[in-house]
Amino acid sequence: MTRTPFVCAALLAAALPWAGAAEDFWHRGAQDAVGGRHLLKADQAFQLLGAQRQGDAVIVQWNIAPGYYLYRKRLRFDVVTPADGRLDAPALPRGEKIHDAFQGEAEIYRGHLKVALRWPPGEDAPQRLSVAYQGCAEVGVCYPPQTQLVDVVDLSR
Amino acid sequence: MRRVHFFIVAGLVAALAGYGAYRYAGQRGAPAIEQPLPADLQFTDLDGHAYRLDHWRGKLLLVNFWATWCTPCLHEIPQLVKLQKKFADRGLQIIGPAVDDPDSVRSMVRPLGIDYPVMTGTPDDMIGIMEKLGNGPGGLPFSILVSPDGKILERRLGEFTPAELESLLRKYLPQ
Repeated sequence: MTRTPFVCAALLAAALPWAGAAEDFWHRGAQDAVGGRHLLKADQAFQLLGAQRQGDAVIVQWNIAPGYYLYRKRLRFDVVTPADGRLDAPALPRGEKIHDAFQGEAEIYRGHLKVALRWPPGEDAPQRLSVAYQGCAEVGVCYPPQTQLVDVVDLSR
Repeated sequence: MRRVHFFIVAGLVAALAGYGAYRYAGQRGAPAIEQPLPADLQFTDLDGHAYRLDHWRGKLLLVNFWATWCTPCLHEIPQLVKLQKKFADRGLQIIGPAVDDPDSVRSMVRPLGIDYPVMTGTPDDMIGIMEKLGNGPGGLPFSILVSPDGKILERRLGEFTPAELESLLRKYLPQ
């Protein structure tokens, strides 16, 4: 009975080095952590919520995971359908300003991002969009530019 | 009862000592991954010449994936340039596959002073190659260190600090 605590402690002593070894094995085998933080794939970090027509605008929204950000200047929207469709220059919300030696002044978005797109008067509303974006994780890893085709859901009907 | 407490304390001390010893040993000389390079990985340089990674067999090869839109990559590259010069005669070869279009890459090679081979490829191709090399999230910068006989020794997602990188290279380069 009195030996139980000692046996437990001894087992703990034996197990701890192996726990460390297992941790190292997984970190060295599959590299998806930086600074001890597991990194998401781009589509998980920057979750594009789709495009919805609301009145005379199409609203495109993202949920940006905590610890990640999108660059304002890397957002791009093009009409895929109709083939001759066009968009006005998007009125992008102001972002958080950052400065970098290579990129200069830049604006970034964190959290939730909502962009309203409009099209020239008299032209057909966009039904399908190509949406491009690019961002980074704050731990110092950046993701390649992403492009997604999204169908516009018309909520105004 | 006092004896039980003694054993508990002794056991915990032994546990901490064991864990500490493991960590210390790991820092002094952790075993390498030693995973063979996947076959048929190929890159194209800025002049359109195709190279397989085994082209650099016999060298300690650092493959550093980068892009012009990746700020951490641009921070890291001057250190790579410096270390390529410093360790070239000890058998280090760095190459820089870029997940970017050739024109953007060409425009940055000179300002960054890159004098090691730079490759390009479509983002999809490069992401596929990085995935085969163990980069699940597909982020940049991403580096692998390959032994002269073609085994992956180390992987790194994210920027190296200058001290980390030099220490890593010294660990594998001949004295």
